[in-house]
Amino acid sequence: MTKILNLRTARDLPRWAISLGTTLYNKTGTWRNFRPVYENKIPPCNHACPANEKIQGYLDLIIQSAAGRTSASLQKKYTQAWFLLTEDNPFPAVCGRVCFHPCETACNRGFYDESLAIHNIERFIGDYGLSKKLKLKTKKLKKRKKIAIIGGGPAGLSAAYFLAQNGYRPTIFEADKQLGGLLASGIPAYRLPKNILQQEINAIIRLGVEVKTNVRIGRDKLLENILNNHDAVFIATGAHQERTLNITGEDAIGVIPALKFLSDLNTGRKIKLGQKVAVIGGGNAAMDAARSILRLGKEPIVIYRRTKNEMPAILDEINDAEEEKIKFIFLAAPVKIITMNNKIVALECVKMKLGKPDASGRRTPLPVKDSNFKIKVDNVIPAIGEQPDFSFLTAGIKTTDRGIQTDEFGITNIPGIFAAGDCVTGPRTVVEAIGAGKKAADALIKYLQKGKAVPEAEQDEKVVQFEQLNQNYFEPTPRLWPEKLNIQKRNKGFKEVYQPYSGKEVETESKRCFSCGVCNRCDNCFVFCPDMAVLKKNSYYEYNYDYCKGCGICVLECPRYAISLIEEKR
Amino acid sequence: MMKKARKNRSAFSGKQVISGNHAVSYGVMLARAQVISAYPITPQTQIVEMLSELCASGQLKAKFIKVESEHSAMAACIGASITGARTFTATSSQGLALMHELIHWAANARLPIVLADVNRAMGPGWSIWTDQNDSLSQRDTGWLQFYCESNQEVIDTIIQAFKIAETVYLPVMVVLDAFFLSHTSEPVEIPPVKLVDKYLPSFKPDIKMDIKSSHAFGGLTTPEYNFELKYKMQMAMEESIKVAKKVDRDFKKLFGRGYGVIEPYRCQDAEIILVTSATITSTSREVIDDLRRRNQKIGLLKIRMFRPFPAREVVAVLKNTGKVAVIDRNISYGAGGIFCQEIKSAFGNQTNRPVIFNFITGLGGRDVTPQTIMEIVNYTKKNKYPKEPIIWIGLKK
Repeated sequence: MTKILNLRTARDLPRWAISLGTTLYNKTGTWRNFRPVYENKIPPCNHACPANEKIQGYLDLIIQSAAGRTSASLQKKYTQAWFLLTEDNPFPAVCGRVCFHPCETACNRGFYDESLAIHNIERFIGDYGLSKKLKLKTKKLKKRKKIAIIGGGPAGLSAAYFLAQNGYRPTIFEADKQLGGLLASGIPAYRLPKNILQQEINAIIRLGVEVKTNVRIGRDKLLENILNNHDAVFIATGAHQERTLNITGEDAIGVIPALKFLSDLNTGRKIKLGQKVAVIGGGNAAMDAARSILRLGKEPIVIYRRTKNEMPAILDEINDAEEEKIKFIFLAAPVKIITMNNKIVALECVKMKLGKPDASGRRTPLPVKDSNFKIKVDNVIPAIGEQPDFSFLTAGIKTTDRGIQTDEFGITNIPGIFAAGDCVTGPRTVVEAIGAGKKAADALIKYLQKGKAVPEAEQDEKVVQFEQLNQNYFEPTPRLWPEKLNIQKRNKGFKEVYQPYSGKEVETESKRCFSCGVCNRCDNCFVFCPDMAVLKKNSYYEYNYDYCKGCGICVLECPRYAISLIEEKR
Repeated sequence: MMKKARKNRSAFSGKQVISGNHAVSYGVMLARAQVISAYPITPQTQIVEMLSELCASGQLKAKFIKVESEHSAMAACIGASITGARTFTATSSQGLALMHELIHWAANARLPIVLADVNRAMGPGWSIWTDQNDSLSQRDTGWLQFYCESNQEVIDTIIQAFKIAETVYLPVMVVLDAFFLSHTSEPVEIPPVKLVDKYLPSFKPDIKMDIKSSHAFGGLTTPEYNFELKYKMQMAMEESIKVAKKVDRDFKKLFGRGYGVIEPYRCQDAEIILVTSATITSTSREVIDDLRRRNQKIGLLKIRMFRPFPAREVVAVLKNTGKVAVIDRNISYGAGGIFCQEIKSAFGNQTNRPVIFNFITGLGGRDVTPQTIMEIVNYTKKNKYPKEPIIWIGLKK
């Protein structure tokens, strides 16, 4: 290829300073001190999701669906998105509605303008899967190991799903008459319509999971029996035992613990309520109870001992409750339920003030002397938290003050027994239960295959920080809030408050995704490379290291930090 | 059928009354420029304004690159031209000055870019009116320069300029006076598209930037080579006088109009010859016609091509006359009129030479009227030799 040129006279020279031969012989790659490499990193949303959903991945599929422009290509991408999502979470339609979406809190877009409405997109994909009756993936192969799952709530169902995915056919023992745990009994229909939950549960059961309802371990069957008859046991009994107010009059007729109230409501049992109902507490159960009372045509009053800032409920729920004009009394705690003939007539409270921060970091409420006041109420609904009930546990399984003692993989002190969800952590969220169920299922499978649960060491994960993005490439675009049912209609029943995204809306919102750390084929590296050393291959890219000088322009111009620059070691 | 025929003729054919700026735009469109990049500056703006409209409407299939300065405009033109695109830009005055570094670049890279410069005085004191100092400041850069007398000559020269540039691989500057041409409408015969296509086929450079055949461009040249590259530029410059003449002859054959690199006007037996450029020429023609009617032996030499300077041709016309009055609408401060310097130096060692008078007039756009020309003629007639190296005409002393 190379040829020696003897340029002796002006005639030999080209018109201007141009090399006569090709420059390809000059492998400028040898000049390189730094080497760019395509290296996808972890988007903060994926990282924050307790179920490890590949959020950026399904958003990308939604964006791709928009490129197709035909109905078939659209459906193909939606379907792919649903399968990608359900690889990690069998409850997309449920979580799209009730999850507290830590992904959105972590979303880098939140540092730029507003975080992505990931849960609305997740709900769209989940609903799409249900409407098309898509079937969850599973291995045909059946493995002859007997696995018992105690508790059919989100953690138990999640574990059942991941076991079934791997060819196991576990049995769920459920104390209630229906599956779903708190999802079924604790969340009102205006947040989670019953049929949505039921369809997603059915999809898991259809994989070959055996279900025994109305079996309460410790009452109908002993844990020892189960241990003897199964190769492994997964405990996911949740936290149902409600904390009590410990005040005079708590045993009066008309005091209904929040979970019982919500459960009765959800199972269609008759509930006798007077006109004014006090709800004690500031968590999600309190919000659910108060908003449900409103929908039953009664008048809820929420009494919380701290202020709005310290409320543990999801912010959206608090805002929606306020929007529905629910009355709040902050900085007050009940001291006495005043009764007449064991019927409630009033609630006596004391005013509180905030003191020094406690272990949770929130300021401790302290009673204000001689500040007692009374409010006329007909019912009192305590919603001050729950704890696991361990009356069924066999001796030998260690517990902590929160719940069953396990490591982060759900491994208990006894080989073959695993536990996860609220029964381990105390009351937490749906998605954390789903994630914990998944982790424990992994450990359980390893135990069955190797006789010992060998958890995988956590990888050194590179989560993309906002500062690592090239923000010049992003345009401020407001978050697309879904339509809400108008207030008048909300007060008259349990219709779902949040309306679904349309296809157009889901596309618009998905396109706001920065795709942090993950190449989405934007072509910037290809366009900017001054040495034409970026090659396109199957719509992705490759470096031609023969010529890449390692200038790093591609790294700088990558909007999403999907390229790393590493030192060249020769 | 009728409608189609009319459409084919379009607005761009036949005789039209258009400004000098639009004559440039039409010329560029007829030449089928492929890339245009420019930054607006009075009095040039109308040129690129119309070109951008022609690009937007699709009548001209060219890429119009918007930029933030004249320096960037020329940079964009260089990039485009290296890839083999026919490339055009237009500017004036300080805009041209801002391009200066890249003006050298384009010439040294031997890129056949065509630039229209509307002559405007350099500021401050700010002026938007004509004189030639902006373009003449670029005389040593390796660009060819043509000074136009009429809007007709403007459109014809633009078309010729691409042909010359692409033959000798040097950039060409077509210069027209601010307002006297740029904003004055005159009847102009628009050359028919088909004939222009025949005259100026598409540009196919022998070497260009192309990913299929990789070369290094504009690299370091050591003293071993750089000298020879400069020599080759001068050779191309010398060659381009011949080329310009041929291109003009061919143009005349097809379109019936020719201009030459210089134009002697009624110079036979002339005792005095005026030397002019640009619009001062057309005013001088009137004066010469008048004087000739009164049997005065006075002629006129129009310099159309200033770079390369057609020294031999100029000497051939002027050597047998007694006196030469060079009228400069420009000044090289500390020296004098620039055209005059060129003519004096063209005579160099010649023994047979006329007495040369250097008149400077019309700077900053001051009107040069027939009376101004007469004043010059009378001075030249009256004095055997110039009384001073620079004779200022119209100066309020």
